[in-house]
Amino acid sequence: MSMIDKLIAPIDKTLERFDPKWQAEHGVGGLRSRYYDKTGVAKWREWRGVKDTMVDYGAWMKNLVSMALMVGSAPIPVMKGFWEYRWMGSFLGTFMFIDRLFEGYRGKELVIAHANMHAIVQSLTKRIAFVLKNDRRLGGSVEGSEKIIPHDETITPLFLKGFKELTPFPLQTLPEFIICDVDQHIEPYYIDVAEAYGLPADVCSRCAAETGVAIDDAFPLIGKAMLSTNMPCNASEATSMFQRRRIGMPDFPVTLAMQHNEKEALPYSRQTLKDAIAFVEQEYGVKYDWNEFFKYAKLINEQNTIELEKWDFFKTPYSALTGIAETLYRLYSWQSVNGQDPYFNKVDRKVIKIMRKAYEQKYQAFGGKTRHRAFLWGPSAVYYTDFPTWTQNCWGINIVLNMDSTMGFNMIDTEDPEKAMDDLTRFTEKACMRHHAVGGWDNVNAVWDWAREFNCDMVLMNDNIACKGMLGVHALMEEQARDLGFHFIFVEHDLEDSRTVSRQDMRNCVNKYMDVVLGEKPLDPTLVEFDDSDAY
Amino acid sequence: MKDLKHLIYFEDLLQDAQNELVNKAKAQGRYALGYNCYYVPEVLLNLPGCFSSRLRAPRCTSTDIAGYYMTNRTCPYARSILERAIEGGFNYLDALFGAESCATMDRMEQHFFLINPVKNDRFFVTQIDPPMKGDKTNLDYYKVQLRVKVLEPLQEHFGLDVSDAAIRKAVEEHNRLCRVITEIGNFRRLANPPITGYEFHVIQLVSQVCPHDLILPYLEETLEELKTREPEPKFPFRARVALVGSEIDDPEFTKLIESCGAMVVADRYCFGSFPGREEIEIFPGETAFDAVCRHYLHWNQCARFMDGLKIDQRHSEVKRLVDSFHADGIVYENMKFCEFWSYEKVLASNIFINELGIPTCTIEKEYALGAVGQLRTRFQAFIESLEIKNIQGGK
Amino acid sequence: MKKVLLVCLKLLKKLTLIALITFVLTFTLYITNGENKLIYYVVRPLLNKHYDSQVRDRKI
Repeated sequence: MSMIDKLIAPIDKTLERFDPKWQAEHGVGGLRSRYYDKTGVAKWREWRGVKDTMVDYGAWMKNLVSMALMVGSAPIPVMKGFWEYRWMGSFLGTFMFIDRLFEGYRGKELVIAHANMHAIVQSLTKRIAFVLKNDRRLGGSVEGSEKIIPHDETITPLFLKGFKELTPFPLQTLPEFIICDVDQHIEPYYIDVAEAYGLPADVCSRCAAETGVAIDDAFPLIGKAMLSTNMPCNASEATSMFQRRRIGMPDFPVTLAMQHNEKEALPYSRQTLKDAIAFVEQEYGVKYDWNEFFKYAKLINEQNTIELEKWDFFKTPYSALTGIAETLYRLYSWQSVNGQDPYFNKVDRKVIKIMRKAYEQKYQAFGGKTRHRAFLWGPSAVYYTDFPTWTQNCWGINIVLNMDSTMGFNMIDTEDPEKAMDDLTRFTEKACMRHHAVGGWDNVNAVWDWAREFNCDMVLMNDNIACKGMLGVHALMEEQARDLGFHFIFVEHDLEDSRTVSRQDMRNCVNKYMDVVLGEKPLDPTLVEFDDSDAY
Repeated sequence: MKDLKHLIYFEDLLQDAQNELVNKAKAQGRYALGYNCYYVPEVLLNLPGCFSSRLRAPRCTSTDIAGYYMTNRTCPYARSILERAIEGGFNYLDALFGAESCATMDRMEQHFFLINPVKNDRFFVTQIDPPMKGDKTNLDYYKVQLRVKVLEPLQEHFGLDVSDAAIRKAVEEHNRLCRVITEIGNFRRLANPPITGYEFHVIQLVSQVCPHDLILPYLEETLEELKTREPEPKFPFRARVALVGSEIDDPEFTKLIESCGAMVVADRYCFGSFPGREEIEIFPGETAFDAVCRHYLHWNQCARFMDGLKIDQRHSEVKRLVDSFHADGIVYENMKFCEFWSYEKVLASNIFINELGIPTCTIEKEYALGAVGQLRTRFQAFIESLEIKNIQGGK
Repeated sequence: MKKVLLVCLKLLKKLTLIALITFVLTFTLYITNGENKLIYYVVRPLLNKHYDSQVRDRKI
């Protein structure tokens, strides 16, 4: 025990009754006790003991500074952005969002979670300032704007880093892809806009929201030409038509092979990427520079090397990186940053060090309260990003890994452009919601191998009620689970529309299984049923 | 009008996938090759020794078992086909040539090899990965897919001749059928056609679900009959519409529109004749296979194409049909739960109404024509508006 | 030398005081969840009012 630990031990003992986890253990409250009903607004922040509260406070300060820097770097564009775009207002919910994500986190898992989260916050704040500064709708310069390549969020931007003069920017990330995680009420607004034009309510709500953003004229106006894509699936292809038309720029659809595991797919997808590069060269009048690309390929290779080491720890009970801290970071750092920001490499190096130490010390996250190790499969509900936190805190179900964390982990050659192109194609095809949700039965059925490999006894299957691809294998997945002896729970959701299936409805899917099938008691009874319908 | 001689026979052929002519071809030792989608060229499934059978699920009113496998929140066409397969309705098939043209179709076709609903030892399934753009890269991929997933399996499994000469012969026969159907369809351009939209729908459907050589004599006879058929003294409909959209394989749907007072003069939907009955032209120096791939990629009107040229082609093609078949408006349909056509319907109707000035009625439907009351009301209102517009001189 | 040391000490005292006051203020804001309450109950309702009154250029 260190000197500081000795010093704070009596304070912790005195204040432990304010710790919601202590309260839950002693039947005098729990993690939900400190909230105003429905709102998701906490009366006070979680008391985690002196040390962990300070860790949380420190992270809060760091994030606050990042936000201040964002406003400071482009005060007028940021203010204009708040005034113009409804989705900008939702970013104000970021602190509440982070609090939700890491509720109940203590010790090493809290340190790692905040390191990962701050990487996202510092990246996003810079991006917001950057895009608003160059947004022609807000008076951004044409010259600055035309150095940006807007691309669909589901195209991995790494291959565009060969254009030294240009900055790839995922078009949907700010108005839709990230913000729906922060605020469950933002995308229903855009979904309604699209549905007001006759779009049926049974299509994928993510793409309906993107369509709504396009119709509502709420995309930042950047770039000279754009790259759309067929990734990951049908509705995504379809919404591209609206975005292309509304944004009104020359557009190149990067249509990668759907059956991406087959040998015929590689030459086609490879050629499509080459065509995309040629399109950018022509539209922007720039030349592709492989040496420039290799610089960034090295960064993603390092990240993927560390990622594979992390996976080894995930397979044990001694992983200090877990749940949403893993999922959200991997999603953002791989799909969106994709080797473009060395800060993420720095964070990865720091995190893996902590993980190694935790493993050596046989450290168990969440005080060793995990009862089940679960693999989360299928596209997750983005309006309930803290769902894995809830499963852990309420029932002791640790989400070890998420389907989308298995995105492209192959290494990319950093010397030979031809070999690099092959690697890049394989890498790009294994993108978010694409790698396993599309491209044949074997891809979706791979869950059991993943679950076994990561020593999971449970599979939580995201049952997106509008995802046609996953609905199409409903019974087969259930039958497989039964045959292979996994606990298997369908968690029904509507991806971005919390009105159709509420967060509580999602929780009920798990509650029922845990209570009726497994006969288990919750770790924290205050979390079993509560109303957070008005929360962000 | 006097009834068409073979109409009742044609209607009978549509009552079951395994109809009289399918049985006849099977008895001749030919292989029955199922397919769902235009992306799989019908002509390649009509090489010597085999015949194509586009899959329908007539009279399928409940999809309980398929709903168990795929939930009830997926395309009812796909579900109905799976249901029919599980019921044993496709046991005559020797192969299914699928296409991952949409996620639901893909999953439905996967069930054909995962739960083995077709009780036929020879039966196998392949699925092509269809192109999404009309450019050269996609044409090349289409060729690879059709070679690897259609021609090579036909040769390997059934020892069929897939040479250029064989494909050329198949193209010739296919074109013969297309010419007959096109000629029959062209009667619909007349001010007072000797054929109804319903009758044409039936004729077009039998040409897709029956072995071509066996149905062709009946179609040729029908064409001759139409040349002399006396139309009604006065055009019996109040308006003319083009029926546009996704999967429609139930002629009762066309009948419903016509019973409300509008003749369906053009059929631009899956199972329709646009596209489907255009003749395949083989350019000098081109292989028959290349010509087939080029032809099908060019004419394909699927809503999943996402490049600008193909998107624009979808709309200009409908405009061309509206003009050349003198349609007063468009009935735009999409199958419930269809992502592609749901989106395309919103976009296309906006373009037709606001940019091209073509009155358009958009509807969403189930596969089985159940509750028609609402649809009837929609159609009646739309037709009335077209009629008023006509009376007012198009204003 | 003593004078420099004294100035340094004074500066350190001032900095410590500023740091302490900053800590007390920010920690109070943090632990009372003050910024989130302000955003949820005041800022966002005002912003939403503005967004709801916007005339958007909606078209396909």
